[in-house]
Amino acid sequence: MYQALLTRRYLLSKVMPLLAIAAVMLCTAMVLIVWSVMAGFLTTLLDSGKTLMGDVEIEASLNGLPYYEDLRDRLEADPAIAASSATVKAQALLGVLGGSMGVQVIGIDGPSYHAVTGFGETLWWRHLDEPLRKDLNEEDLRLKIPEGFEEFGLHLTEVDRETGANVPAVVLGINVANANFATGGGWIVPFVFMPQEEVTLTVLPISRNGAPINVQAQRFPVANEMRTRFYEVDANFVLIRRDALQELLRMDEAQRIEDGFEFGVIEESEHGEESFSAPRVVGVDPARVSSVLVRAAEGVSLGELKERVRQVYAEFVLAHDDANPKPPDSSRIIIQTWDERPGIRNFVQAVKKETALLLALFAFISLTAVFLVCAIFWSMVSEKTKDIGVLRALGASRLGVAWLFLRYGTAIGVVGSILGGVIAVLIVRNINPIHEWIGRALGIVIWDPEMYLFADIPNQVEPTKAAIVLGAGVLFSVLGALLPAARAASLDPVRSLRFE
Amino acid sequence: MTLILANDVRKTYRLGRVDVPVLKGATASIERGEWVALLGASGSGKSTLLHLLGGLDRPDRNTRNNGNGAGEVVFDGRALTSMSARELDRYRSESVGFIFQFYHLLPELTVLENSQLGAMIQHGRFGWMKRRRNERARATELLDRFGLGERLRHRPAELSGGERQRVAIARALMNEPALLLADEPTGNLDRATGGRILDALAAYHTELGQTIVMVTHDEEVANRAERILRLADGVVEEG
Repeated sequence: MYQALLTRRYLLSKVMPLLAIAAVMLCTAMVLIVWSVMAGFLTTLLDSGKTLMGDVEIEASLNGLPYYEDLRDRLEADPAIAASSATVKAQALLGVLGGSMGVQVIGIDGPSYHAVTGFGETLWWRHLDEPLRKDLNEEDLRLKIPEGFEEFGLHLTEVDRETGANVPAVVLGINVANANFATGGGWIVPFVFMPQEEVTLTVLPISRNGAPINVQAQRFPVANEMRTRFYEVDANFVLIRRDALQELLRMDEAQRIEDGFEFGVIEESEHGEESFSAPRVVGVDPARVSSVLVRAAEGVSLGELKERVRQVYAEFVLAHDDANPKPPDSSRIIIQTWDERPGIRNFVQAVKKETALLLALFAFISLTAVFLVCAIFWSMVSEKTKDIGVLRALGASRLGVAWLFLRYGTAIGVVGSILGGVIAVLIVRNINPIHEWIGRALGIVIWDPEMYLFADIPNQVEPTKAAIVLGAGVLFSVLGALLPAARAASLDPVRSLRFE
Repeated sequence: MTLILANDVRKTYRLGRVDVPVLKGATASIERGEWVALLGASGSGKSTLLHLLGGLDRPDRNTRNNGNGAGEVVFDGRALTSMSARELDRYRSESVGFIFQFYHLLPELTVLENSQLGAMIQHGRFGWMKRRRNERARATELLDRFGLGERLRHRPAELSGGERQRVAIARALMNEPALLLADEPTGNLDRATGGRILDALAAYHTELGQTIVMVTHDEEVANRAERILRLADGVVEEG
């Protein structure tokens, strides 16, 4: 009982324990912040990665993948597969706001693509009922946007102002046009409201034989912008209605003419009239796509899904064995889970290793707290030698005296860890405004979105991680108190009473 | 009836490479209910003998003879050297009360808490929780008796020397020990204040028959006791 009373009094009446508390607090806060940000970075990476890629992708070569609707039907008939979507990918030149830049353009069928990737959630310009917490002046433009606005983006369609007809449109990554400013409060202020603008897409179609065809360019209205928070995507990706891109890339359905036909002029001798020779149509080339994305059904692992997709694809190839053209066989396509894509796999591994390394380094640095607590307690035992003698004279056991200091160490660990946890949560939750403030005040940009992929620093603290770090903080403090506690217990009571 | 007996006890301290014998076969027998003064010059071994009686220290091992009890301190018929560390802790907690020359109050605790410290140690967490009210009442009564009823929430630094020593006496008496060991209880006080401390001890001794062993170098203080034992050259002489 006396241990509890003395621990309480020592905690409140001494400066040294406050230093020990500060050391534990800083260490726990530091480790928790680093761990939260790095783990958040990885989680965001994993979540965002799936946003545009689905779980598994069947990727065809440049020639493309015909009969994709049949393939989709077959895939979606499989219980392991929840949804699928066919996409066309190409490099393009984007003319926007008077400038031009290279982008990755993806032709999608909005609804099915949304079913696989959830991309509709990333559409930024949509009606907002309530202003965000920090948007005190209601500056967020989304408050004024009519309900259902995002439907245009979801279907990549706009109404032509002149004809009133539905025409294909594009969705730009929010950073593509460089027309926006992200505020610290979580909303975006557009310099130019892109959904009222038009852009020009220029692509180079490739024939089935891999030869380039004439460069194609077309203007498209912008239906919406998307914010995946994956900087690479937000700054470089443009989505467009698939049929429009297929047409531009000459991957749409087309008549096939006889081989060896040469255009020429036919002279009809009777009347002396000339006409062009017409090729004989020998078949139809089906529309093609670059890849088919697949989403797993609930509870199906990526590995299982990939295996099922492989089997379905093999059956699909077999079913079109007599077709002309034939779909590429399994050896000429790539079936991969989203995290197996080159670049991503290595990057995820690198981030995991980096997180582990950082944690180990900071945990090692935090070991200094053990020595600090040890040094402070050692000096406290010296200072309290006479009190220890008194306690022993009053009948306190050696174990009781040791427990006094261990309990004291535990209390310092608990208080320091809780304070450290609170500080870490406050910092992590507000890390983006803090970062922006540092940027404004000192001109230092620590988190460069181009380097770290995401525009925002991850700002969530997982309770499990917090519990582990706080527990470790208490443990470190108790470890630091261990040696001084043993010393206090071993003190000779008579010498302690005579100690000056 | 003998309460505690120091039988031919020896104690040697080692200072660097030199052995310094402090007690060279000291024998003292204290009866239950007696007030004995241990009188001796500074460095004569008074405090050492007091510590041996209180179980804070042990006599030299090589001089003990278990056959005839030589070299032993025997309390109520049991040799302290035969006690385990746990039993010795219990002995100090239940049977002995210490009063020191420099009070040795814990500066972070209030007067009331300081006086209750021994009781907290004796009863442990759960025992203390059960007895807390009674123990608090007893501590308050003791402090009241020593004129500190209005000072319960004060810290030692806010008290005079005499008041501090009275708190220390209350602390020592809290567990109703059979033996009160006072090491120069007035040594750090002026004569008048010291006199009042001795009056308080005398009153407790007279009313409740408290056994007291008091160490002092002051003949006048020693004269307040019923019997004086003189310690000189490491041995005890009667009168």
